[in-house]
Amino acid sequence: MALLELDGLTRRFGGIIAVDRVTMRVAAGEVRAVIGPNGAGKSTLFNLITGVVPVTDGSVRFDDERLTGLSPYGICQRGISRTFQITALFPEMTARENARLAAQARHARRWQPYGGGTVFGDAGRRGDAALERLGLTHVASRQAGLLSHGDQRLLEVAMALAQQPRLLLLDEPTQGLSVEETAQAVETLAGLLSDGAMTVLLVEHDMEVVFRLAHMITVLHRGAVIADGSPDEVKADHEVQQAYLGGLA
Amino acid sequence: MRDWLGLVLAACALALAPAGLPPFAMTLLTEALILGLFAMSLDLMVGYTRLISFGHAAAYGLGAYTSGYLLLHTDIPMLFAVIAAALFSGVVAIGVAWVCTLASGVSFSMLTLAIAQLLYAVAFKWTSVTGASDGLAGIPRRPGPFGIAVFGGKAGFYYLVLACLFGGFVFCRALVRSPFGAVLRGIRENEAKTLSLGYNTRRYKIAVVAIAFALGGLAGALYAPFAGFANTELLFWLFSGQVLIMVIVGGSGTLVGPIIGAAFFMLVSNMLSSWTDSWALFFGLIFICFVLFAPQGIWGLATRAFTAQPATAKRGRWRSLNWTG
Repeated sequence: MALLELDGLTRRFGGIIAVDRVTMRVAAGEVRAVIGPNGAGKSTLFNLITGVVPVTDGSVRFDDERLTGLSPYGICQRGISRTFQITALFPEMTARENARLAAQARHARRWQPYGGGTVFGDAGRRGDAALERLGLTHVASRQAGLLSHGDQRLLEVAMALAQQPRLLLLDEPTQGLSVEETAQAVETLAGLLSDGAMTVLLVEHDMEVVFRLAHMITVLHRGAVIADGSPDEVKADHEVQQAYLGGLA
Repeated sequence: MRDWLGLVLAACALALAPAGLPPFAMTLLTEALILGLFAMSLDLMVGYTRLISFGHAAAYGLGAYTSGYLLLHTDIPMLFAVIAAALFSGVVAIGVAWVCTLASGVSFSMLTLAIAQLLYAVAFKWTSVTGASDGLAGIPRRPGPFGIAVFGGKAGFYYLVLACLFGGFVFCRALVRSPFGAVLRGIRENEAKTLSLGYNTRRYKIAVVAIAFALGGLAGALYAPFAGFANTELLFWLFSGQVLIMVIVGGSGTLVGPIIGAAFFMLVSNMLSSWTDSWALFFGLIFICFVLFAPQGIWGLATRAFTAQPATAKRGRWRSLNWTG
C-alpha cells in the first residue's frame, strides 16, 4: 500500500504545462528523490501535493484519502510537513521558539487564547527533541535569523520533524550550502533517515546527495516522468543520461 | 515578577490620581485612558500580527454610537450598554475581518480604510439612528443595575475607565503570551510559513481583529457617556490615522507603549493647540522624528534605558510595521 499516490497529476500555467500527467507512488518508509533539470516541475509538484497551488487535473491521495482541493493547513494537519527551497523561518524568534511553534501546530489546543503552560510544555519538548536530532541544541536559544545558513537549513528540517509528520517533503535541503556544509548536512540527514521509520520525498539538485539518501528516484523532464526506479536503474537509463545526468554516470 | 510590580505601582498611582488632580486634569486623564485602551486594542493587530489597519476608528465609532443609542433610546443601565456595545463591535468585526482578510499587506489596509469610511458615510446619512451631522447628544450616564450610581460622577466614571483599561491590559497580556499569541507572532514574522505549518492563519487573523474591535469598541462605548455625545468624527479616517500614530510613537508590540503613546498624544496636542492652530503640523514632525530615529517608540526607549538588551530585537519591532518586511 502506497502512502502517497499521484495519479495523472497536471498543472498548467496558461499555455505552459509545468507538471504533466505525473503518476507516482511513495511507499511507507521509502525515501524517494525527485530529480530533474531546472524548470522540470519539481517545486510545482511539491506545491501541488501541499495544496499551495491548485491542481489542474489528476489527483493526490494520501493514506487513501483524496487531498486535491484541501487547504494547505488542512493537508499539513493530515501529517504532511515540508521545508522550502528558500529558507522560511521566523527570523526574530529563537531556534527553540521556531521548533516549538511548529510542534504546537499539531497540538489539540494550539489556539488556546490564555495560559499555555501545558501546550508550550508539550510542544517545547517535541521541538527540543527535533533540535537535538539535527544537532542544533547548542544554538537553540539564538535568534533564527542570526544562525548560519547551514544551521537555518537544518532548523527548517527540525521544524518539520517537530511536527512528527507521516510524510516529510524536503525541497533542496542543501540549497546554497558550501561543500563542507553540504557534507555535514547530508551526514545528519542520513543518520536521521537510517532507521527507515520516515517516509520522505526529496527534491535535490546535487546528485551525490540524492544517491547518498534516496532508495528510489523519479526523474522529471519538462514536467513529465521519464524514469522511475532504484538509483542504479536510473543511473543506467539512457534517456536520463541524455536529459540530465550528462557525463556523471 | 518585576513587571507585575510595575503594573501594581502604575495602577496604584492612577487610582490615587482623583485625590490630587484638579477637575480639568481629571477630564483629560480620563480621556487619555479611554484613548489608551483604544490604542492598545489596535496594537494587537499592528504590533503583534502585522495587520496594519487604517480604519480602526470603525471600532471606536461603532462602540460609541451603539452605547449612545442604547442610552438615549432604551432604559438599560450604562454598564450594560457599554458591555453590549463592545460585544456588538466585536461581532461586526467578524464580518469586517472576513472581507479585509481576503487581501493582505497594503490591500488589507486599504480595505480597512474603505470599510471605516463606509461606516462614516452611513453615520452621516442614517439620521433616525445616528443623528447625521448633529450626532447623538445628551447621552446620559444612567445608573444601575441595582441602583449603582457611583459611576455617574466624575471620579466614579474615571474608576470605571481605569478598571476597563486595567482589565483590558491584563486580558491582552495573557492573550499575547498564550499559544494563540505565539501563532499571531508567527503570522507577523512569516505568514506563508505559519500557514504551511498547518495553522489556518485567516481564522486567527479574523479572531484577533474581532478581539481588537471589541476592545476598541469598549473604548468608544465609554467615550459616548464620558463626553455625552457621539459624532461622525469618531468614525473619520483622521482618527484612524491618529490612533495608528499613538501606537507607533508609544511603541508597537508592547501593549504598554500605545497607552503611553495615547497619553503623550493627548498631552502634546493639548499643549500645541493652545499655542498654535496648526498643531497637527508640529505633531507630524514629532511623528516623523520617532519613525526615523526611535522606531521602537517611547516605551522601547524607556525599556532600553533600563535594561542592557541588545538592540536587535528592538529594531525588529519596527519591521513589524513594514509591509514588505
